[in-house]
Amino acid sequence: MNGWHGRLLHVDLSSGVCRYEAIPASWLQSYLGGRGLGVRLLRETYHLDPFAPEMPLVFACGPLGGTSAPTSSRLAVVSRSPLTGTIYDCSAGGRFAHRLKGAGIDALVITGQSAQPTLLRLSPAGATLEPAQKLWGERFHATAAALQSASESVAAIGPAGERGVLFANIMMGEGNSVGRGGLGAVMGNKRLKAIVVSGDQRPTIADPERLQKGRQDMMRLFKASPILFGQLGIAEYGTPTLVDLMTQRRMAPTENFRRTVFEAAANYSGPAIRKAYQSKKDGCFGCPIQCKKSTPQGEHLPEYETVSHFGALNGIADLHSIVKSNTLCNDLGMDTISAAATLSAWGELRGRFPSADEVQKLLLAMALRQGEGESLALGSQRLTRAAGRPEFSMSVKGLELPAYDPRGAYGMALAYCTSNRGGCHLRAYPISHEILRKPVPTDRFSFAGKARIIKIAEDTNATIDSLVACKFSFLGASLEEYGTILSGVTGHDYSPQDLKEIGERIYLTERYYNLANGFSEKDDTLPPRFFSEAGSSGEGIDVPPIDQARFNEERRKYYRIRGLTDDGSFKDPAWLGGQP
Amino acid sequence: MIRQLAKYKGKLAADGCAVSERIAFLARDDELLSDGPQELVQLGAAILEQLSAVSLVLAPLALPVGDLLIRRAPVGESSFVPRDTETRTFLHDIPFVRLEKGESPDPAALAQLLRRRKGVIVEGVGIVAIGAFTPEQAYIHYCSVFHAALVKYLLDLLHDGFSLAGEDEAFAALRDAWLQPVTLEGVTFADKGVAGREAIYAEIARVGRYTVEKGLVDSAFGNISWREGETIYISQTGAHLDELEGYIDPVPSDNSSTAGVTASSELLAHRRIFEETGARTILHGHPKLAVVISMLCEKSDCSVSDCWRNCPQVRQLEVTPIVAGEIGAGGLAEKVAPVIGERGRALVFGHGVFTLGRDGFAEAFNALVEVENWCRAEYLRRLEKRLQKDV
Ligand SMILES: [Zn+2]
Repeated sequence: MNGWHGRLLHVDLSSGVCRYEAIPASWLQSYLGGRGLGVRLLRETYHLDPFAPEMPLVFACGPLGGTSAPTSSRLAVVSRSPLTGTIYDCSAGGRFAHRLKGAGIDALVITGQSAQPTLLRLSPAGATLEPAQKLWGERFHATAAALQSASESVAAIGPAGERGVLFANIMMGEGNSVGRGGLGAVMGNKRLKAIVVSGDQRPTIADPERLQKGRQDMMRLFKASPILFGQLGIAEYGTPTLVDLMTQRRMAPTENFRRTVFEAAANYSGPAIRKAYQSKKDGCFGCPIQCKKSTPQGEHLPEYETVSHFGALNGIADLHSIVKSNTLCNDLGMDTISAAATLSAWGELRGRFPSADEVQKLLLAMALRQGEGESLALGSQRLTRAAGRPEFSMSVKGLELPAYDPRGAYGMALAYCTSNRGGCHLRAYPISHEILRKPVPTDRFSFAGKARIIKIAEDTNATIDSLVACKFSFLGASLEEYGTILSGVTGHDYSPQDLKEIGERIYLTERYYNLANGFSEKDDTLPPRFFSEAGSSGEGIDVPPIDQARFNEERRKYYRIRGLTDDGSFKDPAWLGGQP
Repeated sequence: MIRQLAKYKGKLAADGCAVSERIAFLARDDELLSDGPQELVQLGAAILEQLSAVSLVLAPLALPVGDLLIRRAPVGESSFVPRDTETRTFLHDIPFVRLEKGESPDPAALAQLLRRRKGVIVEGVGIVAIGAFTPEQAYIHYCSVFHAALVKYLLDLLHDGFSLAGEDEAFAALRDAWLQPVTLEGVTFADKGVAGREAIYAEIARVGRYTVEKGLVDSAFGNISWREGETIYISQTGAHLDELEGYIDPVPSDNSSTAGVTASSELLAHRRIFEETGARTILHGHPKLAVVISMLCEKSDCSVSDCWRNCPQVRQLEVTPIVAGEIGAGGLAEKVAPVIGERGRALVFGHGVFTLGRDGFAEAFNALVEVENWCRAEYLRRLEKRLQKDV
């Protein structure tokens, strides 16, 4: 077998038994790896409660991991989200992913619940479980420092994951995180504090020349992309390069989405961060783009969504407060978008948004579930429901929306709703064409044609998450180049169209799981604010509320294009059984 | 969406890539929409339904270079690699399909090729191109395939002469219809009369339109800028040069704002050129004969094989320097800026032309026309010389 190792490691924390299992070749070819493989591996268990001990937590690598394919030292972590109740996956890059594949497996499947806090140590020689009582309660950086060595990488939870904060992250040694849906809480519920992995077993490559050709084609396209390698692109400024653009486009969510322009946003723009922190390039292992930024001391600086939500969304203009909030969330092991958005919803509830120096206290209370933090730790949907004001939760399926106001990008509006993991910008990433003009610009204030674009992009991104590659590479390259690379690595011929069909299968499997777990058309919608309140119009840009009837019409088109019924369910109730 | 189909049909015809009445343009929303002759629409629909794509365009080429290339290709070959760098970067290679006289194309076989690539040439039928997201993409891919085919044919012809029965007549028709000098008829420039941001936008938009109308670039390619003080006003990435209203980014030279991240991929080149020359305007197009001529090199004992990227020479074509370098961060900016100042023009190997103006666009536009006209004449002169060898 080329590209894949063909086996997984199953660790049962209840019994302490670790054993290797073969993965059927047909699964690998039909689901690739990463998100797709993880989703396939959950077929018997997707209906379990996220906190049921038997619920698997899957760390899945992809066929491109361990090869020279650009942006591909990544993995997907897959389980069911305690925050949203949906099937959940998150892609993360870095050395941990690289070494997990280097341990000679395609996936690590963790089930059960340990009686005591435990630590999993993993290498090509096998796996061992060790007590981790001493580490329990430690923040992430202390945990990583205690465990990490030059040849090992660590994934661990912080206090937030231990205490079941519903948007707790799994953090990785180089600042990569498995974010958003609370898989850190799933790991904490299993009493698994950390995973330490080493290994450098490389998969064999079927056709190195073809891989090399695809790699060169891709690098040329990266260099041609102003968003990636331009002087104002993300390689230079990181994703905060979007701050100025989102302000200019009048779609930066401000004060819990009551407004869409924040006058002080320039305080935390890409150039402002660079100036204040002398930031340097940083990023995932094996990635030529290096879009992350850090201080000369190595402190990771926040991404666009984080600066905007700890900034505009809470009405905070102080860059240092924002950076502190980001660092604190990372150390506590907590998702920055959901944390900031939950604080913002809470701010609207009480009639006052948190001040710049109040935020960190609140974050700490949230992670430790103390006082006010107890209800904040459940996320904005549960918080606002309990307060009798559910409309203040700016979320879809319970997942807090990131920093792209849907009134300023109608494809984004639809994609938030059709995303299988709730209100996420990355599932179809329409910002790419509606704002960044790649691969081709579309009219952001129009629904026309968006249903099919979103469908195709969702399929494409499901594939990318299964290779596992970075979605930013699609601001330059396309499935054509990844098809060449994957064919070169595995020796199986994958055309871009084949890859889209694989993505479609993965997407539909996820939707099938969600529907079986009780989701329906009524969950595929936005908070009412977006249909009734205008954004901040001005400077020749009008930001009206979204036309609900037109939105519903496009959503219906989307269901039809997906081959679903008009209310978004499966025509064939036995569809799943027919899949490989 | 149906309006989009008509719009891009019009553009294909205006660019001179296809003939209006023979263009079938299709797109899928939740239903199939189409515009064009019925038999072509039918074939297009049969292909599109097998693909996960939004749009498809199918049309005979306005010049017969597709069929000529296919018929000249060695038996057993089924694709060609574009010689021009931009098409090669985005399309990699272009498959083609041979058809016997009277044989009709098989939609399944064409869909099979389009599962892999963005466009294909079918003998006797034309170019079929698809767009994953929008009709505009299908239009762009059609133009790219056409551009690549024309450039490759002209280069091959210069190298090998005629090799098919009747090819000389076909070429003569092509020459008479298309290879004529570009005129300056109908173009005027405001230059020193331009004052203020709105006037700059209007002038950029106007000159962008001229560049397309005169056939010096296909609509969705090229870029254009005006420098005023510490700000560069530049066309956005993916903008159409003949529709620039609303698609120009002001970029401050101190990078105090990054809102210009959507600016042209050649922002870097424009900045370097402004820094180096103090010019006021820059124009960049892909005039086809300049692209062809830029790739002719007489050097025989050269160790460089990827000339488009790594040729270290500054070659001189009459008064125009030719340099290598790939787009964006691929090295072109560093090579063009030092050489463009002297005569206000530079050619990039296999890619296109940069020109500049000191007061406004008149100088830049005139230079672009001059370079292309010189290259057209030069091509015909060299071709004649080459054909004499065969006699
Ligand atoms: Zn160009």
